[in-house]
Amino acid sequence: MSDRSLLERRYRRLLACYPRAFRREHEAEMLVVLLACARDGRRRPGLADSADLLWNALRLRLRLTASRSVPSVFWGVRLMVLAAVFELVSMGTVIATERGVRAAVVRHFPRLDAAHVTAAVHGQVVSVEIGAPIAAAMWLLLAWANDRGHRWARAGAVALFVLTSISLLGAAGQHAAAYALADLLTGVGLCVVALAAMLLIIATGVRPQPGIARSVGCDQCRSASRRGDDRAPGSEPCLPSKTCRSGCVK
Amino acid sequence: MQEATFLILTALASGSQHGYGIITDVFGISDGQVKLRAGTLYAALDRLSAEGLVEIDREEIVDSRLRRYYRLTDAGRERLAEEAARAQSNARVALMRLDSISGTAGG
Repeated sequence: MSDRSLLERRYRRLLACYPRAFRREHEAEMLVVLLACARDGRRRPGLADSADLLWNALRLRLRLTASRSVPSVFWGVRLMVLAAVFELVSMGTVIATERGVRAAVVRHFPRLDAAHVTAAVHGQVVSVEIGAPIAAAMWLLLAWANDRGHRWARAGAVALFVLTSISLLGAAGQHAAAYALADLLTGVGLCVVALAAMLLIIATGVRPQPGIARSVGCDQCRSASRRGDDRAPGSEPCLPSKTCRSGCVK
Repeated sequence: MQEATFLILTALASGSQHGYGIITDVFGISDGQVKLRAGTLYAALDRLSAEGLVEIDREEIVDSRLRRYYRLTDAGRERLAEEAARAQSNARVALMRLDSISGTAGG
């Protein structure tokens, strides 16, 4: 196999990391550019070129694509990212206030054994240390999936909000207001953000998935999706106003 | 606007170009300072087309390979003009202030 075709095959392997729609649109011309930029006799993609390809592929895969023309999804998704941040902030608060909470519990229940209280409070902190990063990851996943219009992600947002509320109510039920007020307040903040995110997402009409949108969209959606633009439905303004079932907004 | 984006729009301001043309042009415009790579270039072109600032001008097949030419849209032209005016006015202030300091120091 010649150096050139070997190099081309290796570039193709890197380009396979890109989202399908992007590849359909740009793979052929990117290969031309990559090969044109490569020195003669080169058999492997350069390190800088490979890093640049992989980095941009990752960014394209993670990029939020919901347009401002569908404000409920646009802001709902951003509130979910904020909820992920809030999860980590509340975890930080719980860790930072562990000592104070322990002292307050001892004051609150003077008859309890101090070692027992320490173990109980530490157990709570550890469960938050494990649960909060998982919840934050779930919020980010749901933000991404709702951005892409996946239907299951709307149910996921409701479920995660319910779980968040239950854990807050559980904390409130354990008299958290008396001895862990800071923790409880960041929890309330998290719940408010989660509630707003969930309401925005479920208030959105059923957002068609790209595959469905292609078959029912108006001409402009279809021509946009022929160009490989997955963002077309629900994002690009269409000419025949309000007639497109794909949800493009004029 | 990021420098790479600004330079890509600048490369297209004088007429349509294909990807490799844009890379060499940007290298020249920036005095060899900015060497665009394919991943960055096409992520930018994809975003700029979605924003309606650039569009596909025409496609050619050269040596059985696709060569696609991009051009600025009217919106792209307008946006580049705004950014250039902003950069120019910032640069003018910077140079003026540097001048006045060196003037004070010298005099």
